[in-house]
Amino acid sequence: MTATMTQCLLRLVEEDYTLADYQSDIAPRWCAGCGDSAILTAIQRLCREENLPPEKTVFVSGIGCSSRLPHYMNAYGFHGMHGRALPVAEGIKMRRPDLHVFVTTGDGDCCSIGAAHWIHAIRYNMNMTVLLHDNQVYGLTKNQASPTSPRGLQTNTTPRGACLEPLNPLSVTLGVANVSFVAQAVDWIPGLLYDIIAQAHRHRGLAFVRILQRCPEFMDHFYDDAVRDPTKTRILVHGDGLRLSPEVSRIYRNQEAHDPLDMARARALASLGDEIPVGVLYRDPSVPCYDDLRAGERPNTPDLIRTVLDEEFDKVTIWPQIGATPLGAE
Amino acid sequence: MAQASMPLARPTDTPDAPEAGSAPEAVALRPALFARYGALEQLRYDFPLVLVEDDGDGPVLQPLTQVMDAIVRQTAAPGPAGEALRQLVLRLEDAIRQRVAGGESDTLANLCRTCAADLLAASQEPPFGPTATNLDRAREALHVDGLVIDCDGATPKAVLAHAWKSVHAAKAKEFRKKIDGLILRLTDILKADFTRSDEAHTPAALESAIGASYGAAFDFHALSRVLSRGRAGEGLPKERERRIHWVLFVLRSQRFYGPGRSSERKPGQPEPHGFIFESCAAALDAFRERLPAVLEFVKALTIAELEIENKYRAELHDPVFERFDESDLSAEQLALLPASLVCLRDGRTDTAETVQAFEALASGLSIKVLIQTDDILGGTSPEPSRTAFGVGSARLAAMAMGLNSAYVFQASSAHLCRARERLIAGLRHDGPALFCVFSGAVETAPHVAPYLLAAAATESRAFPTFSYDPSAGPDWAARFDLTGNPQLTADWPLHRLEYQDQAMQRHGEEVAFSYIDFAACDRRYARFCQPGAEAEWGEDMVPASACLESTPEANGGRRPYVLTVGPDDELRRTVVDEKIIEAARRCNDAWRRLQELGGINNSHALRLLARERAVWEAEREREAPPPGAPEAAASAVPTVEPPAEAEVAEVAEPAAAGDGPWIEVSRCTTCNECTQINNRIFVYNDDMQAEIVDPDAGTYREMVEAAESCQVSIIHPGQPRNPDEPNLEDLIARAESFN
Repeated sequence: MTATMTQCLLRLVEEDYTLADYQSDIAPRWCAGCGDSAILTAIQRLCREENLPPEKTVFVSGIGCSSRLPHYMNAYGFHGMHGRALPVAEGIKMRRPDLHVFVTTGDGDCCSIGAAHWIHAIRYNMNMTVLLHDNQVYGLTKNQASPTSPRGLQTNTTPRGACLEPLNPLSVTLGVANVSFVAQAVDWIPGLLYDIIAQAHRHRGLAFVRILQRCPEFMDHFYDDAVRDPTKTRILVHGDGLRLSPEVSRIYRNQEAHDPLDMARARALASLGDEIPVGVLYRDPSVPCYDDLRAGERPNTPDLIRTVLDEEFDKVTIWPQIGATPLGAE
Repeated sequence: MAQASMPLARPTDTPDAPEAGSAPEAVALRPALFARYGALEQLRYDFPLVLVEDDGDGPVLQPLTQVMDAIVRQTAAPGPAGEALRQLVLRLEDAIRQRVAGGESDTLANLCRTCAADLLAASQEPPFGPTATNLDRAREALHVDGLVIDCDGATPKAVLAHAWKSVHAAKAKEFRKKIDGLILRLTDILKADFTRSDEAHTPAALESAIGASYGAAFDFHALSRVLSRGRAGEGLPKERERRIHWVLFVLRSQRFYGPGRSSERKPGQPEPHGFIFESCAAALDAFRERLPAVLEFVKALTIAELEIENKYRAELHDPVFERFDESDLSAEQLALLPASLVCLRDGRTDTAETVQAFEALASGLSIKVLIQTDDILGGTSPEPSRTAFGVGSARLAAMAMGLNSAYVFQASSAHLCRARERLIAGLRHDGPALFCVFSGAVETAPHVAPYLLAAAATESRAFPTFSYDPSAGPDWAARFDLTGNPQLTADWPLHRLEYQDQAMQRHGEEVAFSYIDFAACDRRYARFCQPGAEAEWGEDMVPASACLESTPEANGGRRPYVLTVGPDDELRRTVVDEKIIEAARRCNDAWRRLQELGGINNSHALRLLARERAVWEAEREREAPPPGAPEAAASAVPTVEPPAEAEVAEVAEPAAAGDGPWIEVSRCTTCNECTQINNRIFVYNDDMQAEIVDPDAGTYREMVEAAESCQVSIIHPGQPRNPDEPNLEDLIARAESFN
């Protein structure tokens, strides 16, 4: 395959980005020990490795600790309304398919107030990467129960402990029509976090990644068992999914070969009780994308819009008869 | 004929018993195998052909029979309930075929309408009767439309022009999608610039932007002042704005494709260029004439792609575009533009034109040339030299394969529909393409239908179907395709001929359909053929196909014959002249050459095989156990040990540098705990993961506290470096669980 002339000319001015090119002037205002920092670093590494031009990359968020992330990226960003990150991202993708769209959202933003948008975004399967920072508590508003809080968790809104079973974002997503990519990562294994986000970015369609994230303020020591005992984490490996580095493989020996096309197993893994599955649970690149289906034969240029409107108006226009005698003039 | 070509034959068409004493010299001969296909218009076969007008991915050519079969499948109920409808659809098809055979040329929908009206009138049923209802159901199920054509001298041009138009339309769609996308992005850039400009922030501009409905709710002067104050940065550089305007102008005013919607054209806008030419010279002239416009367009296209990426750098790219000329045009840029189509007719256009066509094909430009051949055999008067006898222009396509860069397609009219995928592939090919099509409309064989003659040309190997696609792969196996010819591996296809003799006895024999049968149809070759009725048949006659393999001497003077019939379907053995036999040998030689190219009986492969076989046999002989040796030794199969299961490579624990502190860098989660305790000991690396850069930049206490606060416990403090630090004992005890 020979490179086109444009590709050659682009190569003349190609830039090699560094991590600093994606860091904004604003220092992250997350608590020390917060898992969001690990996610931010993984994203910045991905941008650098994939050489994504900052001006061609957009981060969209809703409200919450996680949703501060666009401020810390030197790229386009949209800190949207609570729960509305996905509709904004869909609008961006529809109008600017050339942009790399990332959505960062939290367990409250996505699974509570934004749940309707979440379900339909999965069904639309537009080409973007959605990162759900799931710390299982409302951190920004200081300790209230979220839809994913474990039963019995004492918070300001549940002083006697949360009385409902938590919602499982993985099994909900896997149950929606047109789902095409579901993965789970944890913020305390940075190598895997990067690999999973990279696979999500390369997937064509909506890639949904739930990231279990530590909150040192309100969920302190919640994940200590999993962090200290590698056998509590079940790593999903496959030729089409994660391939572990020897270093990770040595520490995390609890591994399962899981074919990402196997939906039944993916659903069973999503509901594992005592272990945390990490890796690509489901991937089907053949699911059609809404942005492709709706792209139409031609882009809606101003000229085309005007033409089509004129055609429609012409259907109901009454044209004056040329040469006819005006009424009452005979 | 191949069964697939002509699937149906009436049993009444089997040859009658030959009568003795008929006058052979007055008879227009046909091969005996043609006897079953007397009345073509009563048979279901590949013609009439529908030139399908469709934007989708469906086939661009469809036989009428296929269209009607689809209607029957879709509408008629299985079993006796659907029988009336099935028969009616077949009668409708028959009526259309009769009309087309009568010279009528119309679209399928119109033909269906008129023929359905005729059938309805003939049925004499009252309105809304079963015939009317069934006809309505059949016509509702008709989803394709297009011109219906029969097989005649105009077929190759009509088919190729139609296929070219459909490929052109698909290309235009792709082109518009690409160009409109660029135009949209560029206008977005200009629009975004305009919304930040002084001009867009004047009270009047703001008022018109809001619209009349809510205009009263705003103070546009105040809004204008606020917006002007908050405006950041400057607008687009003037140079860039000018460049984008120029690119937009060039992209919008291109004349390679039309606007796509008839109402989209603006008054005064010039017509798009035509790309169908009468001669190669005209096509080449047009290319030269349009070259400046092509260059300008390609330049604009490239600049547009750079601009939307915001990567146009004047200092780097300006010199490139200043020097931009023909040599910079790349294949993929040219592939965007339409291909030219030139339709030539061998024998009608000048020989010089054919030569020029080869020059055009060699130029590498996207020119598609149709050379329609109406006469494969060539004249016999004045008598050609022995080697040129009976050759005509059948070898043009084989010659064009030597050009290597051109797509070459050869088929007779009768096989066009079956080879439609390869025909379309040739038109989609980015480079030049040659289409050699034999029409079958031979003036010197007026007694044989063009379809039959065209099919016979393929059947007799006089005009085989093949294609050569230089873009399909690196070797002949990928590029050359000989499928579509009957009985590919044989020299001549064999068919069973059944007839009655004078005593009304039934006979059957396997008959080869060879070049000689094809030549025998042609009146010009009649003087080299001597038909003889059954009474004249003798022992000294031999089937011509049998003596093609041997020399005249080896035949022992026996007379070669082919079986033919006259208009009365009387079977004759027609003795043929040695000249035709020789021409048939040359035809067979050319066919074998094509077979070799197609991988059949390839001489290189056969030689290699023979050599390897000889080596293998010699080896086997040498290794053969002496008689009486125990059999177990011979049957012993060496067992292969399964490879040991590969173990995951173990990575050594990072070596702790003596008693010094260390950190598992790759597991760091960037949580800032350690850097907040001491950002001189702990520093983030290029991957934003903490490293210990200077263990002496802080106290042992800080080191231990960092280890304790690390969420993922990856900091190992080691032993204290400064023995004078206070409370060391306590700190060492705390550090123990992390070391």
